[in-house]
Amino acid sequence: MKHLIKLILSTLLLVVMIAGCDTEDLHDMNINPNAVQVIDMNYFFTAAQLGLASNGSSGDNRYTDWRTNINFASLAIQHTASSGANAGEKYFDNDMEPLNAPFQFYYRDALRRTTEILKQTSEGGSMEGRLVNTRQAARIVAVFDYHRLTDWYGSVPYTEANKGLEGIFQPKYDKQKLIYTDLLKELDEACVAFNGSDVDYAGFKKADLIFGGDIAKWKKFGYSLMLRLAMRVSNVDAAMAATYVTKAVAGGTMASNDDNAWIKMSLTPSESTNQNGISRALYPGDGGDWANRLLSKKLVDQLKGTNAASAADDDPRLTIFTQGPIKWTASDLGVVLEADPTKWIGQPTGYDGSMLNTEYGGGSPVTPYEKFPAINTKMLQDDEPYMLMFAAESELLKAEAVVRGIGTVGGTAQSHYDAGVKLAMQMYTPYDASLVVSDAAVTTYLTNYPFAAGTALEQIGTQMWLSKFMMWWEAWSDWRRTGFPVLTATNYPGNATGGTIPVKLVIPAAEAAGNPNYAATSTQPDKMTTKVWWDGGAE
Amino acid sequence: MMIKRVYKNLKSTMLLFLWLVCSVAVLAQDRQITGTVKDANGAGLPGVSVVVKGTTSGTTTNAEGKYSINAPSNATLVLSFIGYVTQEAAVGNRGSVDITLAEDVMQLGEVVVTALGVERSQKALQSSITKVPGMSLTAARENNVGNSMQGRVAGVNVTKSSSGPAGSSRVIIRGNKSIGGSNQPLYVIDGIPMDNTQFGQVGVWGGTDQGDGLTSLNPEDIESVTVLKGAAAAALYGSRGGFGVINITTKRGSNKKGLGIEFNSNYVFEKVYRYDDTQTIYGPGGLKANPADPTGPQIYAKPISQLEAWNWGNGAMWGPKFDGSMVPQFDGVSRPYSYAGDNWSRFYETGSSWTNSLAITGGGNNQTFRFSFSDMKDTFVVPNSSFGRKNAALSTNGKFGKKITYNAKVMYSNEKMNNRSMLGDSPGNAPYAIYGLATNTNVMDLMGDPNKPGAVPVGVTTPDLKSTGEEYQQANNNWCQNPWWAAYQITNENIRDRFITSANLRYNILDWLYIQGQIGMDYAVRNSNSLVPQGTGYQRGGSKSETGQFQREINQEWTMGADHEFGKIRVTGFVGGNKMTREYERIAASGSNFNVPFFTSVNNTSSQSFSYGYSKSGINSLFYSAEVSYAGYLYLTTTGREDWFSVLNPANNHKFYPSVGGSFVFTDAFSTLPEWLSFGKLRAAWGQVATANVGSYAVVPTYGLLGQGHLSLPMGTFAFGDNIPNPNLNPALSSEIEFGTDLKFLNGRAGVEFTYYTQKTTDDILSATISQSSGFNSTSVNIGELTNKGIEILVSGTPVQKGDFSWDISVNIAHNENKIVTLAPGVTRLFIDEPRTRNAGVYQVAGMPFGMILGYIQKVDPASGKKVYDANGYPVRSDVMEILGNGIAKVTGGLSNTFRYKRFTLDALIDYKFGGDIYSGTEVNLTSWGLHKQTLEYREGGMPIEGVIQTGTEPMVNQFMVRYQ
Repeated sequence: MKHLIKLILSTLLLVVMIAGCDTEDLHDMNINPNAVQVIDMNYFFTAAQLGLASNGSSGDNRYTDWRTNINFASLAIQHTASSGANAGEKYFDNDMEPLNAPFQFYYRDALRRTTEILKQTSEGGSMEGRLVNTRQAARIVAVFDYHRLTDWYGSVPYTEANKGLEGIFQPKYDKQKLIYTDLLKELDEACVAFNGSDVDYAGFKKADLIFGGDIAKWKKFGYSLMLRLAMRVSNVDAAMAATYVTKAVAGGTMASNDDNAWIKMSLTPSESTNQNGISRALYPGDGGDWANRLLSKKLVDQLKGTNAASAADDDPRLTIFTQGPIKWTASDLGVVLEADPTKWIGQPTGYDGSMLNTEYGGGSPVTPYEKFPAINTKMLQDDEPYMLMFAAESELLKAEAVVRGIGTVGGTAQSHYDAGVKLAMQMYTPYDASLVVSDAAVTTYLTNYPFAAGTALEQIGTQMWLSKFMMWWEAWSDWRRTGFPVLTATNYPGNATGGTIPVKLVIPAAEAAGNPNYAATSTQPDKMTTKVWWDGGAE
Repeated sequence: MMIKRVYKNLKSTMLLFLWLVCSVAVLAQDRQITGTVKDANGAGLPGVSVVVKGTTSGTTTNAEGKYSINAPSNATLVLSFIGYVTQEAAVGNRGSVDITLAEDVMQLGEVVVTALGVERSQKALQSSITKVPGMSLTAARENNVGNSMQGRVAGVNVTKSSSGPAGSSRVIIRGNKSIGGSNQPLYVIDGIPMDNTQFGQVGVWGGTDQGDGLTSLNPEDIESVTVLKGAAAAALYGSRGGFGVINITTKRGSNKKGLGIEFNSNYVFEKVYRYDDTQTIYGPGGLKANPADPTGPQIYAKPISQLEAWNWGNGAMWGPKFDGSMVPQFDGVSRPYSYAGDNWSRFYETGSSWTNSLAITGGGNNQTFRFSFSDMKDTFVVPNSSFGRKNAALSTNGKFGKKITYNAKVMYSNEKMNNRSMLGDSPGNAPYAIYGLATNTNVMDLMGDPNKPGAVPVGVTTPDLKSTGEEYQQANNNWCQNPWWAAYQITNENIRDRFITSANLRYNILDWLYIQGQIGMDYAVRNSNSLVPQGTGYQRGGSKSETGQFQREINQEWTMGADHEFGKIRVTGFVGGNKMTREYERIAASGSNFNVPFFTSVNNTSSQSFSYGYSKSGINSLFYSAEVSYAGYLYLTTTGREDWFSVLNPANNHKFYPSVGGSFVFTDAFSTLPEWLSFGKLRAAWGQVATANVGSYAVVPTYGLLGQGHLSLPMGTFAFGDNIPNPNLNPALSSEIEFGTDLKFLNGRAGVEFTYYTQKTTDDILSATISQSSGFNSTSVNIGELTNKGIEILVSGTPVQKGDFSWDISVNIAHNENKIVTLAPGVTRLFIDEPRTRNAGVYQVAGMPFGMILGYIQKVDPASGKKVYDANGYPVRSDVMEILGNGIAKVTGGLSNTFRYKRFTLDALIDYKFGGDIYSGTEVNLTSWGLHKQTLEYREGGMPIEGVIQTGTEPMVNQFMVRYQ
């Protein structure tokens, strides 16, 4: 018994000693075995690049593209049409997700990571003065996302944005003019600061998903983006436009389709991170929305040219964008129901099911996908590369700049226009090697529809619109600025815009209610009908 | 959350009790004495302890109050039973000793288990502590013990979600005290804290209620539950006691000869008793051009083809009146255009729960034990959904000599839940699909392949070109499932194996001094899988995930205590320490797009990824408790606990939680009080506890790796996800003071307990929703302030006590007023969650009570007070979300009636909640689908509206209109 008592007492004493103290063990317990204090910022750079493709590094890669690019912009700019209710084509505001999604994801994805790269490579950061090329590329990536945010929402948080880790939880909104001024400055600085002999170049080269570390291509990407931004402000700030158009052209924009920016995607390991979000939204084995986003009458009519009965005068992109009406099931890649392009008709914009039945079925039901062409399945595989920017845009913008006399560009409007059209038609092979347009087909098209000074801006605008198939949200920004092509708005009962095509996205309700800076510093009224600064709205 | 009620499952529960209680005593000693123990009404009292005085030999009475014991003639029997005055009876020459036990009207001898398992007399209690006997948990049985608390305890508000047999329980004691915390009490089993992790809840994008830790418990093993409501009562639990403590005492073996065998079989069945009352006059369809007048106004049309029927297959009851004509349905078959009858009763089944349990108790002089085994099989009202639980428990109490006592316990549970129901958003949600189903369609016609419910049968071509064996969809909506497919093909499974063990050793050094050590562990392994099979609308390639989780909490505790009397003054107290560590690990593999058709292994997927998570945390503590009493009527108590946290910044990692209280039994102190006042006590207590804990690794920003990278390149990310860490975080502090009185009248036939409390939480940790433009979703800040104040009243009495019949009634009622005093600076509204309709949400609003419901309403013209319409007569929505209501009940309580006639007892509990609003997403959808009865009005002929027209988007023109559509 004595031994037992001793045993008990010493056990208790041991318990006394280990309990109730401020021990090292207790402190060490809070070191996360699955986290580190310092990480290679190139890992963040790779994530930031993936984030450019459908925000794939922050969760569901199809969320933003599906809602805003596809369900809103593709309908609003009338590349696709749907018989359903939606914001893009019927101008409803009962489902706010298409109007909110970019605000909810852009800051938290690529921008979160580029901000950290810039922080760690600047003064006081763990990699101060290092990773020169990663830093410049991150600046370009940041500009790419920020200009979209302001293009879509007008005033957005910029100078105080992405500073949550510094304790700024409710950033103020900045005026679009200020944002554009800074974005153009960033591009200007970044493009000249790349350095091929930087000690950390190898790491950048390895981490770069877009150009594999090709600095010349990064500079072209940066200057092409500069040209885009400069032209965006051309209606409201001629001086800013002229300065940066000149700089961009002098710096050298994308000139060939080899310069185009794509993000390669992959089937594995995770569908929501590594696959193409646009494909996932439309692919029948996944989101399956292909049958509700068929090619519009506006687009098909444009592509079929002046003689609808003849295929000879068609835009070669007609057979790139679509194979015609299809049946597409999970087990095959789309059974073409009508292969003859002359018989193809696009789905009219703004119609509901019963309107389609009345007009196309004589009152009998119409199955839209049996009637109207679908997006080419060869562009919608889950591992399609994701298109970010291409050379044709730069050439078309140069054509416009020459026509409007903005900055110092060189060449003729027609030379840039022809080059732009050719580049645009021939840029689809990364989707599928069979999506080829021959030089001869381009020449035929340009012969059939030659550039004419009298209709220059409309032609350029139309070509820009055509070139942004799959990048519908960019087409929407182009259209808001140029007004080309001329689109006829719908006026479906119950629409929220009074029958006008929306010109702004709307800030999420949670942000509007939560951020005290929203009321005073965001673009107001925060409605689909309010124009942003470069579109003629307030600064 | 209450606003996500996609379907209401108010069940009626019929109870069928099969009580089989056998007590077998085998004895062999001396002379056999038999007898019956009765109460004052002459009814036999079961379970009365009968002990031969001065020995350890004893027995308990059987169900009829009879006992049999061997004792010598000179023996004295001691008969005792909780709630009755203990009696002694000399045996003498009698062979039969019948005793009537008198009720201890004040029940003051009863001890209550308080913090850290300390038993205290009710006289000494300074805060409201309510005891719920185990019987209450096994009568109208709930699988989740938490749900049994509703209506039993004043101030406890239980919300049970409609998520099936293994769903979680939300227990709120004295109001919500934290915005960032769970507001869930600490559950303690025999002195050892239990892990009550909630494994996942339905959100805006749907999902399943993944249950909590409470579902593991077998109600049959529970002797009693005490609820420590206030901060003073729970202060000894320090940082874990802020939301109150629920102390569970398990049954133990009793000191008696022979074996006690108890077999218990319980069957409960449940039926969905209310099917929602929807309109059955108009069928599926929509507006179409009028063939007779193609350019004129559109008319309501019914489907004329399979495709139209399929397009209108879900949520489109906007067709004309049912007329009995033959119209095609989603499957191409023409059937009458008339109401197809109630699809709910075709789909839902009768649920049942069948529990069998066996308990064996026994023991000798030095050791007693109880072993129990129980098996529960529960089938839910939703087809193919079931819950099974097996519990085994062994506990033993014993002593070595006179000074050492010990007890040890192992509780094992195995739970298997098949197919938790998908709720909220539409994917995989069977009730959602039935709600929306065209009302001329019989849900049985959606069965498809009878060998694979919900699948496309051989030889059938569907409008969406599905293959045989894929989902047979009734509507042109990939996100709306065939209900049979949702029930039988989209599956999930959780299996949890859990051990809750403890051991306790106590050494009584002196008569008045003891030292005690105990260790306890709660260890669980949980394996889950979920399958979205190939061919499902929203994920045609299919997906599968497999998750393994492991969790372990260990508590090591020592206490040294004393209990000494100095004349009329008695001092009791203890000091002690505790070391708690908790570990959690999770590994998950998931894949999508099956390679081999319909082979549902995760190994068979073409895209595969995995994730791994681990966390560990600990708290070291020292504590004390001291109580001084004078003459048994004046008590003063103080407690304190210092906690050191692993999860806090070491510079600032400890906190002290004190309490102080007093009680005064004035009926014992003054002898001049009137006769009818049998007992009276005044009490007051103050205490401080923590209301929220900080998670592991949440104070220092760190980096991690994102997924498995992209194209073999690693991707970096922040290890803390979307919530910004804060190095200065502290647990929030909850201070509470309460005053109360306990009164008994007329020899205890009537009683009143009254408590008033006022509570304040400061430094509440808000996982403050911040602007997403900050780059993150939220940050944790010690900033919020909330207050709760309220009253609790318990009135009990025995209005009738006549012969063999008695009627006891007890009413408890509690009112709580809650207020969010401050949120973060500059923040007046904090977003919490939203329903899938996304036009409303739950917010915390400064100056308002916890849980405000905000939503859009129709815009009102401030000048005229009239509603605003657009030029087409459609309502214009308010610019911002307005306050719609508050989701928390203001008054909660229960009314309990117990009728006894001889040995029959009828117990009836009515629990109630008043106040509190519900935003029903179901109602919103039913209205937009044309199913709600309110859509019957003005369907034809237009609707007269009066209001103001808004032209353009701004400004508003002050123009009145009356419109007929």
